[in-house]
Amino acid sequence: MSKRDAGARRTGFWRSVAAHGSVLLLILVLLFPFLWLLQMSLKPEKEIFVFPPRLLFTPTVEHYIAIWTGQFQRSFTNSTIVSLTSTMLSLLLGVPAAYSLSRGRFGAESQIALWVLATRMAPPIAFTIPFFLAYRHLEWLDTLHGLIVIYLTFNLSLVIWMMRTFFDSIPRALDEAALVDGAGVWGTFFRVILPLSAPGFAATAIFCFLLAWNDFFFALILTRTQAMTAPVAVVNFMNYEGWQWGRIAAGGTMVMLPVVVFSILVRNYMVRGLTAGAVKG
Amino acid sequence: MRTGSGSVATITSQAAHPRTAPGWRVKRRRAYLLGLVPALAVLTLVTAAPSLYLLVTSLTPLSLVNPETAWDFSGPHRNYLSLLEDERFRNSVWIQVKLSVFTVGLQLLAGLAVAMLLNARWRFVEVVRTTFLIPMVLPPIVVAIIWKVLYTPDISPIHHLLASIGHPAGAMITSPDWALWAIIIADVWEWFPFTMLMLLAALQIMPDEPLEAARIDGAGAWQLFLRIILPLLRPTLLVAGLFRLIESIKAFPLIYILTEGGPGTVTEVTNYYAFLQAFNFSYLGFASAITVVMVAATFLLSWLIIRMVGMEVDVE
Repeated sequence: MSKRDAGARRTGFWRSVAAHGSVLLLILVLLFPFLWLLQMSLKPEKEIFVFPPRLLFTPTVEHYIAIWTGQFQRSFTNSTIVSLTSTMLSLLLGVPAAYSLSRGRFGAESQIALWVLATRMAPPIAFTIPFFLAYRHLEWLDTLHGLIVIYLTFNLSLVIWMMRTFFDSIPRALDEAALVDGAGVWGTFFRVILPLSAPGFAATAIFCFLLAWNDFFFALILTRTQAMTAPVAVVNFMNYEGWQWGRIAAGGTMVMLPVVVFSILVRNYMVRGLTAGAVKG
Repeated sequence: MRTGSGSVATITSQAAHPRTAPGWRVKRRRAYLLGLVPALAVLTLVTAAPSLYLLVTSLTPLSLVNPETAWDFSGPHRNYLSLLEDERFRNSVWIQVKLSVFTVGLQLLAGLAVAMLLNARWRFVEVVRTTFLIPMVLPPIVVAIIWKVLYTPDISPIHHLLASIGHPAGAMITSPDWALWAIIIADVWEWFPFTMLMLLAALQIMPDEPLEAARIDGAGAWQLFLRIILPLLRPTLLVAGLFRLIESIKAFPLIYILTEGGPGTVTEVTNYYAFLQAFNFSYLGFASAITVVMVAATFLLSWLIIRMVGMEVDVE
């Protein structure tokens, strides 16, 4: 399979060209839709409908200004607050729990694992219906704290599961050494283990943020106007404001840019995060 | 994984130092519990309690229009009986099956093909890998918007390209024959990078010995692939497939943005039907019953597949 292999050496120049060519084509297929939206957001509305598209055009930020001076700014802020708070809460609760699960030997690890996996498998509507009914009573519909709480359903499970695999990969001998030196369980955790798992911690935090940020379904149902998040706001450009493609593209771009930047930061952990719960790390 | 366990045993058996006495072990256990209990309590509150509530609601004819229906348990099985007779529900299950089979199947095929292609250790493979992350990390709603643009004839570069080479095409998302395929194509674009990355990771840790041995025995490229590589990839294929299968049952943003379940009901999967019953028609009791069935089916399917994976791994 690799370059050193005899089979590959025989393939010669043309097969290598074909392989490189198909990879380039693939990259184009993957990036084209994404880049198309980006360029749409920078074109004047009339220019969007010009085909064949002009590659050289004077970019404009009018769509960004238009949405930012409207309701979108508030939704964007809501998304930021909700995602950050839900991430912090999940880490605060989930990281110590993950450490306990990794070190404590309670004999219930597999049951808890199954539970966490089950919450990740269930379709969001399974949580949305009961939360919607409960929030109606509590008058938590269309509130930021309502969203923060429901985001715990997926983020807390994610933190427990991802962080556990990171803690498991740190030798227990390090804990034992610190414990014998007189640091308590949590002293050991904060002074020795947590600093060692900093990269995993950062990746987990970014994952939580992205999951909350990307959520559409919960926010669609549990918010109306006050607590509306950015993804829902962008969709409203389509449904209620009559297909202003420039604004839709600008809103979509603003929702996706933080995601793309963060994802590139944690690219090495991506598959691990997406499969957390089923594949033991 | 449990590297420290040996040293604990030796230290505690000496029991000379106060910190290694049995009391210390109880204390430690209590400290670990302190870290675990708050998270489990919150997890129970936000996942177990709602699940129970969902189950209870599914036994009532709850409709928001009639508040008194909330605790009416006079006919707990009624929702489930009407599900059996509900033509639209059966249709939604069939559409779900089609959507799941085609998206998971195509994602595995495309993922496998591309993983084989990329397995060569190129200089720029890291760049390629990062590029592959983009579709699946994009907010699902943005993916849906992107495809809405590509599927809307007057603004889509694809439609304009087809028209300019003399093959104008109608809009897929409003055609009863093509709407489901429009969803499938967008979903495969979004998620085949996931199966690809999992398979690529498996290919890169694959032992060289069986391949070398087969090659010495004169096996051709196809034979190598079918007899050696594919069997070794089977557990990964099953896990990746299971993941995509579970996710395909949750399909929502693409359908909501591209077709809204239409035209008619040709893209109305079970999840979308439950959403309509709950939040458009306000039949929350009935929608809960649909959801309970959906969750049960998801768990059952996963259990079956996990058993298969387990056996595969054992065989190896």
